Amino acid sequence: MRRTPVPLLTGTALAVVALGALAAPTAYANGDPQGDSRKESHQGSHSLEVFPSSADPGTTVTVNTLACGKHGHGVGDANSLGAGEFQLNPSTHKEVVVGQFTVPHHAKAGTYWISVACDNGKTARGELVVKHKNPSGHVRTGIGGSVGPDHTQIAAGAAVLAAAAVGGTWLLRRRASGAQDG
Amino acid sequence: MSNSSKGWGIAVAACVGLWMIQNGSGEITPPVPSAAQAFAAGPSVHTDAAADPLPPSPPVRLRIPEIDVDTPMTGLGLDGSGALEVPPAEDRNLAGWYENGTKPGAKGTAIVAGHVDNAQGPAVFYALGALKKGHRIEVDRQDGRTAVFTIDAIEVYEKDRFPDAKVYGEADRAEIRVITCGGGFSRKSGGYQGNVVAFGHLIGVR
Repeated sequence: MRRTPVPLLTGTALAVVALGALAAPTAYANGDPQGDSRKESHQGSHSLEVFPSSADPGTTVTVNTLACGKHGHGVGDANSLGAGEFQLNPSTHKEVVVGQFTVPHHAKAGTYWISVACDNGKTARGELVVKHKNPSGHVRTGIGGSVGPDHTQIAAGAAVLAAAAVGGTWLLRRRASGAQDG
Repeated sequence: MSNSSKGWGIAVAACVGLWMIQNGSGEITPPVPSAAQAFAAGPSVHTDAAADPLPPSPPVRLRIPEIDVDTPMTGLGLDGSGALEVPPAEDRNLAGWYENGTKPGAKGTAIVAGHVDNAQGPAVFYALGALKKGHRIEVDRQDGRTAVFTIDAIEVYEKDRFPDAKVYGEADRAEIRVITCGGGFSRKSGGYQGNVVAFGHLIGVR
């Protein structure tokens, strides 16, 4: 029984190796120091460096890639988080293209794919994690409408007092009439 | 019963009645947690182990059986100053959660806030300060699961000494904070003087 998963795992591993082998030459050609073959093999995209890789709304995010080649250009797609498209142009390192976009304020927290289509037909993808700032400071959750006299207790007190008054009156009358009778 | 003892009974009743009227005329404020419920008061009385965090799913309802809280939940954002927004005050039975933050039951610190009162009187978290360590907080989620938290502490902070990192900071297990107003009330200096915060961690799932 315990042996069953092994052939399955081997099959999967083989498939991954096969995909990796296909993607590997481009990965090395890009000089990708990470050598993340899993990301590289995804739909044959090159890696896109995203900085910062985790950002809150309003932050400007810079992406760069080697995919577009020397003096290349590309168009970035940040529609997944509602930031539209942006241009990538050669940086000071001419083999690298660079572009920027801003994380919109309405972007929800989560992980988004940013993709780039180069003029040379190649594509690159990278991940951006959108995180929101934690709140700060105290919370205004009350105005004091519950603060005040205890009306229930006052009413109960008044009722007890009234009962005592009625009882007292009755007792006094009885005494008075008792005195007459006697 | 003799007339004299009846007289005494009536006199005592009159005194009790007067005392109740006098006592009730003082200002009553929401319950304030005792120092024994704070983190600083030594090791917590319970030893419930943390449960594994759930995948994220938005909350639908929150219950705190000990103080008869059973409330729907609404999403909250941040205002211009970065402070947590609050649910609409008109609705006395409505709690809010920070929807750009951690979802209750998922890994991290989920933030819940609700009013202690509104203009009409007590609101959803009026009795939050009466909770004790070990009491339960239950959150029904959109995925049909109920995240069950145990309370680790209930603390009170002054407005301008609110410990952001302690209350809102990240956690590597599933935690929750339930926040409301409290910590003294002054009509002269801006109402409630601070916040009551209940700290909890996930101990189970139903």
